[in-house]
Amino acid sequence: MNRMYSKKIHILIFLLPALALFCGVLIAPIGASAYYSLFDWNGFGPKTFIGFSNYKELFTSDAIGFLKALRNSLLLAALSVFLQLPLALGLALTLGKKIKGERLFLSVYFMPVLISTVVIGQLWLKIYNPDYGILNVFLRAIGLERWAKIWLGTKETALGAVFVPTLWQYVGYHMLLLYAGVKSVPPELREAAMLDGATDGQVNRFIVLPYIKPIIRISVIFAVTGSLKSFDLIYVLTNGGPLHATEVPSTLMINMLFLRNRYGMGSTIAVLLIVLCFGFALLISAIFREEE
Amino acid sequence: MKKILALLLALCMIFALAACGGTAAKTDGKTDGGETVLKLWCIATESDANRPAYLQAIADYEAAHPGVKIEMEAFENESYKTKIKAAMMGGDTDDLPDIFFSWSGAFLGEFVNAGRVQCLDENFKAYADKIPESMLSTTTYDGKHFGVPTTFNIVAMYANMDMLAEVGWDHVPETYEDLTACCDALVAAGKIPFGCAGKETWCVTEYLEPIIIKTIGYQDLNKIFAGEASWNDPDIAKSVDTLQDMIAKGYFDPNGAALGNDEVKANFLAGKTAFYQNGSWNTGEVAAAEFKSGVGLFPLMNADRSSYNQTIGGPSDVLAVCSASKNLEAASAAAVELGKEICHYNFLNAVGMPAWAVDYDTSSLPPLLVDIGALVNSCEGLVLFGDTAMAADPAQIYLSYVAQVYGGAIDGEGFIAGLTKDIG
Amino acid sequence: MNNNSKTARILIYIGLVFWLLVNLFPVYWMFTFSLKNNAEIFGENVVGLPHHWLWSNYASALKTGNMGRYFLNSAIVAVATILITLVVALMATFALTRLIWKRRKTLNKFFMLGLTIPIHASIVPVYVTLSRMHMLNTYWALIIPYAAFSLSMAILVCTGFMNEIPRDLDESACIDGCSVWGIFLRIIVPLMKPAVATVGIYTFLQCWNELMFANIFISKSALRTLPVGVQALSGQYTTEWGPIGAALVLATFPTLFIYIFLSKKIQESFIAGAIKG
Repeated sequence: MNRMYSKKIHILIFLLPALALFCGVLIAPIGASAYYSLFDWNGFGPKTFIGFSNYKELFTSDAIGFLKALRNSLLLAALSVFLQLPLALGLALTLGKKIKGERLFLSVYFMPVLISTVVIGQLWLKIYNPDYGILNVFLRAIGLERWAKIWLGTKETALGAVFVPTLWQYVGYHMLLLYAGVKSVPPELREAAMLDGATDGQVNRFIVLPYIKPIIRISVIFAVTGSLKSFDLIYVLTNGGPLHATEVPSTLMINMLFLRNRYGMGSTIAVLLIVLCFGFALLISAIFREEE
Repeated sequence: MKKILALLLALCMIFALAACGGTAAKTDGKTDGGETVLKLWCIATESDANRPAYLQAIADYEAAHPGVKIEMEAFENESYKTKIKAAMMGGDTDDLPDIFFSWSGAFLGEFVNAGRVQCLDENFKAYADKIPESMLSTTTYDGKHFGVPTTFNIVAMYANMDMLAEVGWDHVPETYEDLTACCDALVAAGKIPFGCAGKETWCVTEYLEPIIIKTIGYQDLNKIFAGEASWNDPDIAKSVDTLQDMIAKGYFDPNGAALGNDEVKANFLAGKTAFYQNGSWNTGEVAAAEFKSGVGLFPLMNADRSSYNQTIGGPSDVLAVCSASKNLEAASAAAVELGKEICHYNFLNAVGMPAWAVDYDTSSLPPLLVDIGALVNSCEGLVLFGDTAMAADPAQIYLSYVAQVYGGAIDGEGFIAGLTKDIG
Repeated sequence: MNNNSKTARILIYIGLVFWLLVNLFPVYWMFTFSLKNNAEIFGENVVGLPHHWLWSNYASALKTGNMGRYFLNSAIVAVATILITLVVALMATFALTRLIWKRRKTLNKFFMLGLTIPIHASIVPVYVTLSRMHMLNTYWALIIPYAAFSLSMAILVCTGFMNEIPRDLDESACIDGCSVWGIFLRIIVPLMKPAVATVGIYTFLQCWNELMFANIFISKSALRTLPVGVQALSGQYTTEWGPIGAALVLATFPTLFIYIFLSKKIQESFIAGAIKG
């Protein structure tokens, strides 16, 4: 069998469709973007080679504000790892203990993942509306008039206001992943620990968490790269405003590509975004391996 | 590893070859029956006020020109911008429309400069008496005409006359003193004079640009938008300060900063704000509101450089023809006629002012529209909306500074200093 | 002690129910939104039940909005994408886990690169390629990119499942005279059924709500997918929001119903996928 399994022709045939699809749609465009990032080009007119000037401008120009956008998305990634995931993990652990209504909770918690981001965005626009939005109406009703704010329109609050729905929408996704892990813990392990007099907390801490570490790793990778790539909801809610307070690299990229006609600069951001996502994925994997 | 790399390279090459050598049957824009099919891309979606005009104009055209079929595809406004640009960037002519909607000024200009748009000079010859040259100025590049206006709009200051009456005004204020007195009275009575959508910066320009033109005059503002003069003009700083002064006095709904235009407009139509300054395409909706409505222009600020009858506006929406079209002649002829008729029906539907000569009955139009028509007729100088007039990159820079003005992050000095530094 | 754990239990339930309501709210809001007029949507009555139940919003969404057609298109694209992703991923995974060659670990890592690539970064190059191949304005213009972007996840999931299948099965099949293809088609693929469900769901999530590609790659309204169709309902100058809400409901609720109907199955396969992956 080994001889049959080592034949080059078989390997090639089995891999060809995947490689063609992968290289054609994902890898080749990266190459194209890397190439175009060296040009000053609006996308349809003549192009001028300018070397790494786009990269230089991106990191030095205050007007573009790439570093700020990057900081915003890194902050989102951090919040995602330290707020969203613990919440998802908490839910997963709670539901993993055979609680009544487990299935109902699971199903409903996952729903926001299925609803289109456009819908979620419109909903939160209504929640944040300064006049009649539920948030301000609620604050006024309980006498906290002073706290009522123009959430998406003020520089200080906009970023936070955009992050809340972004983080909320995917809690269910991570919860289901982690729940899957919790459910896969062999019941014997759990029972043995219980017999030894371990509390719920101790079982979770010493039995469940170590067991589901690989899934936590995947969750963390998804959370971080997802934050760096985040676009849809921010686009609907603020499109990077007010005064670039909620700008992230993706909104900046689309802006450059299609609104400002700076195709070269847009490609530059695309390249950096990919490098960044890949770098973080490797970094997270390395951190988890270190721990082991 | 080398082998893998080689394999990858080979695959990419196969893909590239397939991409270049694709020889699938090309359509020649004809159906089996020999009909000429023209693809038209526009933004007149289901709920867009322009849609009835497009449908009617197309139906008329097809009836008058048997053998020509127009396939209209409508896209949502924001996504259309990305779509048409991707199509212009992208490869094959089969994937381009024959006729496409565009904004005039720099938006169309960048396509013209790239050689993607057909010159329509020949086709306009037959229409010389139907459209004044001034209406084609925003789509004229190097003396050649490339766009067909489908509508003409100015920035109008709509007023809720019922609210104004409550504080003792029976007309739309025409001087700045009157306007401030009226606004002060409204504020004192606990009412909000203006609403402005901070989420959509173009709405802020609908307030700022009229102040600027009423301060420095249309010739100078045109030069600045065209990049021929510097932003470094102390009167522009003064205009910015005027707007911020109005904001500081509480003339603007503070919640507007987070709202989109639809919401701000809804507030005005529901009687929550007294004024709404925006494009004249809103006339139909305002006329249909439950209150008595009035209209005027922003008051004159500096009589030395400007006059009351100058305003921001122009034929901002146009049709153009792709130079790659397989039916250039038919497309060009159709574009001009369609543009004229869309404009005609838009006016009758009260969603735009006529850029073309009015040679049809208008007696049934709402009075508000007649009032705006009078404003347009008495117009002494026009400047196209700044974000349309300017090239894409400076336009976005300009918008970001306008947003900062509305957000109070910079004052007039900062505005002109920043724009002088970043644009010139 | 007993009392304490009872309080804790009640607190946990309060928390769970609160979170339940938070997650149900969008569904409720979307539904009531679809039955209101502009005045109610913009301020008069944002969260309450509609004053007048405007079922006509649905009629206009269906009639002018052409939602039925868009739904069908979305379904065709989703099904074809899932099928192609599955076939391609299963073949690749077979080569990556069963066949014997150097560097297969490296190639696996290479495929995992796809998990980190933002879909928006490749719009224009993909557009140009599709255009040159005369594939724009066909279902393929969406199916191929969606399949490509789902591939990494699919391989990740399939690898987990395929590693679980004992190699003895291959051995005995080989001894029985099966070719590579025979082993793949008759032994491996039938045992990958749970993976099929998981990959299907991940792929569905990836492509059902996608907007950017769908907008740019498809120009014929007859081929539009749901997100683009919904978006095309709103216009530049005037926007009537009620029918848009109705369209949103029509676009979302079938998925939700299917999900609720199949939730047990979906969760199980999601779970299976997560563990194996």
